[in-house]
Amino acid sequence: MDRVADITVVRLEGISKSFGAVKANDAIDLDIRAGHILALLGENGAGKSTLMSILAGRFRPDAGRILVDGRETVLSSTKDAIRAGIGMVYQHFMLVPTMTVAQNVLLGQEGGFWLNRGRMEARVAELAEFFGLAIDPAATVSELSMGERQRVEILRLLARDSRVLIFDEPTAVLTPPEIVHLFAALKSMANRGKAIVFISHKLEEVLSLSDDIAILSRGRVVDRVETRVVCSKAELASRMVGREVFLEVEKEPLPPGEVVLEMSGVTGFGLKEVSLTLRQGEVLAVVGVAGNGQKALVETVTGFRRPATGKVNILGREWTEFFRNPDWKHALAYIPEDRLGLATCPNLDMVDNVLLTTRQGFTRGPFMEHGRARQVTADMVRDFDIQPARIATPAGKLSGGNLQKLVLAREFYRAPRLIVAEQPSQGLDVKATEEVWRQLLAARACAGILLVSGDLSEALQLADRIAVMFRGRFMDVFPVSDTAKVEAIGLAMAGVGAGH
Amino acid sequence: MRLSIVKRQEPLPGGSFFILAGALVFSLSISALLLALQGKSALGGLYVLWHGAFGAGYALVDTILKSVPIYLCGLGVAVAFRMQIWNIGAEGQFAMGAVGATWAALTFPEAPAALVLPLMFACAALAGGAFAFIPAWLKTRLKVNEIISTLMLNYIAILFLDYLVYGPWKEKRSFGFPMTAQFSDAAVIGGIGGSRLHWGLVVCVLAGILVFVMLRFTRLGFELKASGSAARASRYARMPYDALVWTVMAICGALAGTAGLIETSATVNRLQPSVMAGYGYTAIVVAWLARLNPLTIALAAFFLAGLRVGVENLQLELQVPAAFGNIMEGLILLSVLAGQFFQTYRIALRRRAG
Repeated sequence: MDRVADITVVRLEGISKSFGAVKANDAIDLDIRAGHILALLGENGAGKSTLMSILAGRFRPDAGRILVDGRETVLSSTKDAIRAGIGMVYQHFMLVPTMTVAQNVLLGQEGGFWLNRGRMEARVAELAEFFGLAIDPAATVSELSMGERQRVEILRLLARDSRVLIFDEPTAVLTPPEIVHLFAALKSMANRGKAIVFISHKLEEVLSLSDDIAILSRGRVVDRVETRVVCSKAELASRMVGREVFLEVEKEPLPPGEVVLEMSGVTGFGLKEVSLTLRQGEVLAVVGVAGNGQKALVETVTGFRRPATGKVNILGREWTEFFRNPDWKHALAYIPEDRLGLATCPNLDMVDNVLLTTRQGFTRGPFMEHGRARQVTADMVRDFDIQPARIATPAGKLSGGNLQKLVLAREFYRAPRLIVAEQPSQGLDVKATEEVWRQLLAARACAGILLVSGDLSEALQLADRIAVMFRGRFMDVFPVSDTAKVEAIGLAMAGVGAGH
Repeated sequence: MRLSIVKRQEPLPGGSFFILAGALVFSLSISALLLALQGKSALGGLYVLWHGAFGAGYALVDTILKSVPIYLCGLGVAVAFRMQIWNIGAEGQFAMGAVGATWAALTFPEAPAALVLPLMFACAALAGGAFAFIPAWLKTRLKVNEIISTLMLNYIAILFLDYLVYGPWKEKRSFGFPMTAQFSDAAVIGGIGGSRLHWGLVVCVLAGILVFVMLRFTRLGFELKASGSAARASRYARMPYDALVWTVMAICGALAGTAGLIETSATVNRLQPSVMAGYGYTAIVVAWLARLNPLTIALAAFFLAGLRVGVENLQLELQVPAAFGNIMEGLILLSVLAGQFFQTYRIALRRRAG
């Protein structure tokens, strides 16, 4: 090892933590070493977040020891963790949007009573440069991109001399160029002796970035491996789920049925002359860099944004007519990207969340048939293998994969003819992704699926046809069998190529 | 050693009961302290308060009668709060209900009870409900915050009531007192079996059952719960958010209006400014203490009505200012609200690290 340092900063010994009957962490041993990037891989609900919350001082373990620099340390608050040099960058940033970068970075540690804006900014600029995190210390946080905000979060930890930096799925909110930037910064921090813990589902990211990989499953560390001895994503995936998963789903093409969605010349709200035809039995994937009109497209098709100009026909009916009083069954189902805020009510239990879009089917006169709704929910929990299986569990307590399964089960119960699925496997582990993909493919039998995805491999796995979106326009629409065009998707996403 | 605040992983079991009890003890202790500061006997004062509210038969009847309007208003407020519509306009809707009922009673002085009473109920519910449509319209069309609009409309309603009893509806032979003529016997809600307890109590029971069933078993109740829980998700599920706002405002207005009718007809037998005793505001405290549950609202209404009656006794016997009741009401609400903090957090003692 030619690292600056190779000492264990934090050692976890036999860490266990239970929530009720669920063992979230079960006798976990883990070494976090200076100068190393440790990737923590695991399915949803494998215990990664609990483990990291213990490290960040938010939970106390039921059993086990935490050694910082070889000395046993009790982390009973986030302050203790910060004092021990452990800092965490959460998925949701905790910044004050109206304040500047420098103010956010040095918040709570300005020292004296008087603030010296110039000196604060100089200190932050120095820190940013040292670790290769380009940012303007005088900029206001509300004006920054997600990638820049993340850098502010990192700088905040660095300013407190954190030696262990934990990142919870840091790439989920970033654009591809920002991811490249982040990885360079992470490597630079590791080279300067920081210990990095990187939580991710994305196998290629883990492979390209980390030095060591620890795989968690059901609360235990089931595998620990040096990244350089892993040869492929497939190998890592199989280590992760304990069986060979190649993330390929079998897809038999179905004969196209009747037209379920037709758009012609839809313009406005960021869309430009969007035309498409979608038939029952097929999947049309819309791919592109986020922010190129996908949101407006989805909102138009799902009825939340009236098309400014152009025609939209859903199941043979004109947009206004269809959305005047849409049927809950045999019509349109929308699987949104935001599962917790939009697709479900976090505080309500699974039954109420199932009723959210199916309530018309459980109504007798003015009354709800709660008993039957409980029965149907229990069936869904069994058929889709949702954990925990207790139907009184609030949606907010479900892991991402289980929540998505609940949403799918509910939306498929409506026997939709048109499905709009937005990033359906985002943030899910390999196993859950595979299940979601299988379910979507099975739903083609009765429905046409408009899949909006930022994940090209997902689009290629599921789609019959692919539409590449750039600046509100479909650059090209082609069958997935057209290998030449598939090769050129990257160019089309950047706005280069045919289709004008 | 120092104190730190730790989030509970599981909510405190049986927590709401302990919190309520603790908050009551805490607020009563402060009240006792306030009494002592005025040179009154603290424990004696609390006894006078208790005795005045629940200690004797006539006191108990007073308390039950006072809980009627508080309960109906609290029920209405709770329906709106379920949807996170912060309607604090029960006071104004109560006033409009009283006005509506009085109009019916004064317009048809000769009509038999079988005609005039139903008409009064209809007018009170309509007047209260229609008045609540104003903030509903302002909110759904112009996005005006309902807290501000309902609060300001309360003053308008009360001034409108005052205008009527000082002006067009004033009785000729009232020697200048602002009051309408006494209602005809047909327009007065009578006592049950000759007692002072009147049929308004039965209205409360019926309204309570209806609201309970509506919230618990109907699709409307489910949609209210979902919309209150997550507005974005209810929009996603295509719930008619605006229509739901109108509905909860109408329900609250109708219930508060009915309360105004009962207070005017059964208790005072005429319209006069003293019917406006702040029940609509107490209802907010009641709804919140009862966690918006129609059954516990009855208990909370009874309790706060007892407080009002007891404080009157306290005024008489110990010459405590009338505002003392408001102070206690505020203390109880604030202690309960602050106490809810302990449902999700606990305070831990720990040694300083290192």
